[in-house]
Amino acid sequence: MTGVYESPKPRINASLLSQYIGRPVCFVGRLEKVHPSGKALILSDGEGKSASVELNDPLDEELSGIVEVIGMVSNKGTVMVVSYTQYREDKISFDLELYNEGLKVLHDFPQHYPFEVSLSG
Amino acid sequence: METAGYTQSPGGFGSPAASQGGDKKARTRAQQIVPCTVSQLMSAVQAEDVFKVGEVEIAQVTIVGVIRSTDKSTINIQYKVDDMTAAPMDVKQWIDTEDMGVDNSVIPPGSYVKVSGNLRSFQNNRSLVAFSVRVLEDMNEVTSHMLEVVNAHVQQSKPQNTMGGGGGMNLMPSMSSMGSTGSYSGASMMLVNGLSANQNQVSQKCFIPQGISMQDLKQKLSSMSVTVIRQIVDFLSNEGHIFSTIDEDHFRSTDNEA
Repeated sequence: MTGVYESPKPRINASLLSQYIGRPVCFVGRLEKVHPSGKALILSDGEGKSASVELNDPLDEELSGIVEVIGMVSNKGTVMVVSYTQYREDKISFDLELYNEGLKVLHDFPQHYPFEVSLSG
Repeated sequence: METAGYTQSPGGFGSPAASQGGDKKARTRAQQIVPCTVSQLMSAVQAEDVFKVGEVEIAQVTIVGVIRSTDKSTINIQYKVDDMTAAPMDVKQWIDTEDMGVDNSVIPPGSYVKVSGNLRSFQNNRSLVAFSVRVLEDMNEVTSHMLEVVNAHVQQSKPQNTMGGGGGMNLMPSMSSMGSTGSYSGASMMLVNGLSANQNQVSQKCFIPQGISMQDLKQKLSSMSVTVIRQIVDFLSNEGHIFSTIDEDHFRSTDNEA
């Protein structure tokens, strides 16, 4: 799983999950629900669609607001989380809908925002 | 084949005479600070002492990412910064031991930062030598950096850049659905003089000898929020386009009136 850190982790939303099964991704969403076990979360993206993410160990802290997770997409379309970061909103709130528009731009112009390193001769 | 030490992009200091007068146009372009992804920096083609991402020559760059690890010595701080496009990039920041005004405390892992610095290559290892590593207080800078990267590289790829007017708008079809927050309007996507339309607007207001105040800027630029104006003023100031005059809230352009 540590290989995920060293790999490119394309930024995606819930609609793209099915296209990234078996691949590392970066998913940013609003925390909607925490499973009682503390090992699963529901995040909603900028389009309002939900994604399930699963943790290795139960959450040991209070999480709220915008959370960014990186991990592998399972066959079921859930993200198996390797690590997560909460986006700070103490000064300015994060515009998740705008971020979703940004994602569309990234995916429209992959040649100008590559999620891969091309080795040149 | 590299000579001892690491390769530098021409920044104006001590460029050997042999490389002068070779490619004036490309040199001008390399004076701009270019928003990039780590993947672009790692993929950049190096010809002698010049790095290129596609058609874009890069020297000073900015990246936005999260700190994965830190390592502090007496003379520098080393970070690994992950922007999701590749493996985390090595970033080195020299500690200025004499300048008490500069905060040299290590930023902890898990923090999102914007790094501004120069791309270096040493023994096939690419890294950034940072002159600024700033913690993001507004996470929307993650989004704005994503857009600025695409914009900077799309603009430079067009052979005849018609800056201004509607020239570049058709490149961003999905932008038309934006508009919930006025500060990210499509007009700010195009670069003139290396500055966006908004940045140019602010900059143009600063040709007053004693400096224009933030109050007046707010009044004259009613379409922009205070936050955006403040961000732009900070950016222009960091880039050297404007400087503060009678106090922190008055600014004047460093350029002669056009």
